[in-house]
Amino acid sequence: MKQIIIILSIIFSAVSVTAQDSKDTKDVVTKTYKVDGNCGMCKKRIEEAAFVKGVKKADWDKDKHTLTVIYKPSKTNDETILKSVAKAGHSSELVKAEDADYNKLPECCQYKTNTCEH
Amino acid sequence: MQTTTSCLNAANIKPILANTKNDTSMGTISKKLLLGSIMAMPYADAIAQDSTVVKSDSTKKLKEVTVKFRRASTQISMLDPMKRELISQRELLKAACCNLSESFETTPSVDVAFTDAVSGYKQIQMLGLAGPYTLITRENIPDTRGLAAVTGLTFTPGTFIEGMQLSKGTGSVVNGYESVAGQINVEWRKPFEDKEEKLHLNLYQSSQGRTEGNIVYRNKLSDKLSTNILLHGKSQWLKLDNNNDGFLDQPLDKQFVGANRWFWFGPKGWEVQGGVKAAFVQNTGGQWNYERNGEQITGKPWGFQLNTERVEGWAKIGKMFSKPGTSMGLQLAGVYHNQDAKYGSTNYLGTQRSFYANLIYQTILGNTNHILKGGLSTLVDNYDETFRLTNYKRNEIVPGAFAEYAYTHSTKFNLVAGIRGDYHNIFGVFATPRLHVRYAPFKKTVLRASVGRAQRTANIFAENMGYMASNRSFMVQSAAGSANPYGLNPEVAWNSGVNLTQKFVLDYRDGAVSVDYYYTHFQNQVVVDVEDAHSVQFYNLNGLSFANSLQAQADYELIHNLDLRLAYRWYDVRTSYGNTLKERPLVAAHRAFANIGYETRNKWKFDYTVQWIGSKRIPSLHSHHGGGVTSESYSPSFWQMNAQISKSWNDKLEVYLGGENLTNYMMHDPIVGAGNPYNVGFDASMIWGPIMGANIYGGFRYKLR
Repeated sequence: MKQIIIILSIIFSAVSVTAQDSKDTKDVVTKTYKVDGNCGMCKKRIEEAAFVKGVKKADWDKDKHTLTVIYKPSKTNDETILKSVAKAGHSSELVKAEDADYNKLPECCQYKTNTCEH
Repeated sequence: MQTTTSCLNAANIKPILANTKNDTSMGTISKKLLLGSIMAMPYADAIAQDSTVVKSDSTKKLKEVTVKFRRASTQISMLDPMKRELISQRELLKAACCNLSESFETTPSVDVAFTDAVSGYKQIQMLGLAGPYTLITRENIPDTRGLAAVTGLTFTPGTFIEGMQLSKGTGSVVNGYESVAGQINVEWRKPFEDKEEKLHLNLYQSSQGRTEGNIVYRNKLSDKLSTNILLHGKSQWLKLDNNNDGFLDQPLDKQFVGANRWFWFGPKGWEVQGGVKAAFVQNTGGQWNYERNGEQITGKPWGFQLNTERVEGWAKIGKMFSKPGTSMGLQLAGVYHNQDAKYGSTNYLGTQRSFYANLIYQTILGNTNHILKGGLSTLVDNYDETFRLTNYKRNEIVPGAFAEYAYTHSTKFNLVAGIRGDYHNIFGVFATPRLHVRYAPFKKTVLRASVGRAQRTANIFAENMGYMASNRSFMVQSAAGSANPYGLNPEVAWNSGVNLTQKFVLDYRDGAVSVDYYYTHFQNQVVVDVEDAHSVQFYNLNGLSFANSLQAQADYELIHNLDLRLAYRWYDVRTSYGNTLKERPLVAAHRAFANIGYETRNKWKFDYTVQWIGSKRIPSLHSHHGGGVTSESYSPSFWQMNAQISKSWNDKLEVYLGGENLTNYMMHDPIVGAGNPYNVGFDASMIWGPIMGANIYGGFRYKLR
């Protein structure tokens, strides 16, 4: 029983210590951009592409077609993130995708011609 | 990454149904899942409850909602009054081969251990209680009951499985009265799911001489009709004796499992599905020179052989009525199971014929805050067993009725209260009440509690086949003139538990901490007593028997795409053997577990599991020095490690390479008296650790879309 209490308290204290750490970081901004895409299939690709160095979280909303990114401005910027997204084939308000990259998208994600209404 | 093409079911469309007239133009897929709670897909439902954004367009049609995002391979549902661990395919793939019993090796809630040193079968353990105390269901129809309680897990190959839900403690009364320790519901691959590949091919080869192949083919003939065929073949063809005791560490075997299922989504809310499955297994083990059906007398090799044939058929018929939230479902299943085992000179033959019918009616009272389920069920079991030339026959016929009420007060509080009454042709009438309560004081904090009763008939031989790998005498202390199965009473247990799940976001990444505690109290138990080195005794509990189980688990995405899971669990399982309350043998009180999974963008996956298994009590055994008995002892604790690397290309081909038991830890002399298997004191049943050394395996999965 004693061992259990020790192990539990280690787990919880580890969690609470790291929780405090994150509050200290002020070097973080949250931004939302318009990013073209279709459906759930595109979501993973967009989010993975947006996840460049310095990005904490990327979330693409498939209904609103918006990408919300939380990142450290000291390490990256809008352009770097959206260039990476464009490279994956998805145009945004700042960076248009090259045709070559767009054409690599699977058919259901080719947002210029298709929609994902089932 | 996970995709759930999922829709709305009665349980989570409250806000819409409340103000929407039922609409017959709903998409087919929506309809499918409206019947979900009765028919098919609790797995998808439970996930949908956590993650789906409910959406309705201007015409108030219910629309398909596709959820696709990164999700941990094992999740805990947050809205369900019953705590369910949702084990996804991704989690199952962490162990590449695998039938059901092996697939739990990366799940801290379930312990897996060999039943004996010759048969190669593994048994699961939940809450510190042996496998048969857990109800295993296939899409909510009871599956490996009765004679297959221990061996049956191998008849469900991992490749057939889409996902599993694991719930500890007492389950829903809708699925019967049997689950003592918990329920594991296994969802098979569905042929109508477009995200699924058309053809799935899998080949596996291990360094220990095991070859396995799986094929799953689905065909969606139309929007309404679909079918799939699932095939599995496995062979252990290499003789191995790593510990040089003259016995094969694992028997040679041949196994074939084939299944075919059909789904039909008809007009007016009708849905029909059905399937058949057949499994044939042949195991041959024991001493190195044993040949199948060889004579088993002193001077000849001691052999183990087991032939199993199992055929099952099942069907579900569902109808959704025009009244919102109202549906009816009928589940039917039949099983024929035949097994013929030889452990040295011990012969054990068993045949089981079972039939199961369960009719469920579900409706809402006013709105979906009040969901009522009610129904009737029948369970018929016919057993014919012959153990060491004594025949045991019995029929169990158990008609029953049940009602379950699910009340949602708010997103903070809900409960499920159920009761069933059953009439057993031998044991008479009994009631099974069960209650589950959920309270979520904050959005990311869920507290749950459950309490309930369970009853089951122990199949003393089938559940303890491991002890047949010994020269122990089997003694059943039956009451004189009793008409009960084996002359023993039914096992009756009360299980109660509390659990806390706390989700958190730390540095923008998700994590969860959960702690659960369960207490199982046996009112009666068929005690399996191996305290005497030369016998196994079965008798009705006289005194106390209980199991305490505490588990703490933390999951966190440590860095992007790197998941960490830490778990620790503690058991205190004790039973009165004779007049002495003792720790149950071969149950590890402590187990610690860590798993790290990492996935790169170019589809490399790395998975590593390390666990520490604490010591287990070993009862006194026959001593081959002087002929007496050894004193009771404790096994050493040990470490185990598994790792796997896989790489996939274009979502089509995936190649994997992995290793099991990488610490190469083995029990040195797993068999007591291995030199003289026909003499007193031969015992291959006292297994507390791995028998096989490190195993390296590799293989591929090919998916054709």
